[in-house]
Amino acid sequence: MANIHATFTVERSYSHTPEKVFAAFTNSEKMRRWFADGDHHDVLVFVHDFRVGGAQNLKYRFNASTQFSGVELANDGAYEDIVPNERVVITSTMTFGDKRISVSLITLEIVPAANGTTLTCTNQSVYFDGADGPEMRKMGWQSLLDKLALELEK
Amino acid sequence: MNITNVLHALGDPTRRAIVEQLGTGPRSVSHLAEPLNITLTAVAQHLQILQACGLVTTSKSGRTRNCRVNPAGFLLLGNWLSYQQSLWSRRLDRLGDILDEP
Repeated sequence: MANIHATFTVERSYSHTPEKVFAAFTNSEKMRRWFADGDHHDVLVFVHDFRVGGAQNLKYRFNASTQFSGVELANDGAYEDIVPNERVVITSTMTFGDKRISVSLITLEIVPAANGTTLTCTNQSVYFDGADGPEMRKMGWQSLLDKLALELEK
Repeated sequence: MNITNVLHALGDPTRRAIVEQLGTGPRSVSHLAEPLNITLTAVAQHLQILQACGLVTTSKSGRTRNCRVNPAGFLLLGNWLSYQQSLWSRRLDRLGDILDEP
């Protein structure tokens, strides 16, 4: 089966300066809180060596509040480019159990806006055979799920 | 039933084809085998994997085994996908919360 390439963008506006937004990257404790922590998983590994070429490792296990309780996911990569208050570029793999499912190029752009800052996260990934999200969608899973919903209404 | 097994089951093109067929309505094992051009035994093996992970259920009526989609597996899959898709969204929301701290 072919590999799937997919891109998505997430954008947020904050009423704070680019300097303050960037500080949430340079401060490891803050970075861990917004990047790694979450209500639905326990963080097993968090390495944040914030310099060009520095490692970024995140491993987490879904907790009992999800239907994936016990499943472990790992992101391993590096900071490829850092321009203070402007740009952070990360490359990262995603491993699911013992299977590598994707490799991503993630660009975070910090842009001054009228009332603060706009942060844009662009995620360009290749998803391998048996991988998650975009591949499934590409294979028509959404339409299948729609069909399923109709089927269940009968 | 867990997501690892669901993703593994759907990693196979024949099993995806079976699930796509069942998405249009219940089918007997022989009906499933026909368009796929594979043996009944092969279909049965794929069905076993799809059943074990909660994507398909089967029931016997007389000599015919009927197959249909099992919503449980699809709910799990749907939740997994939405969780993955919203990962960055939630991250940037948390960043906003941290920035708003005094």
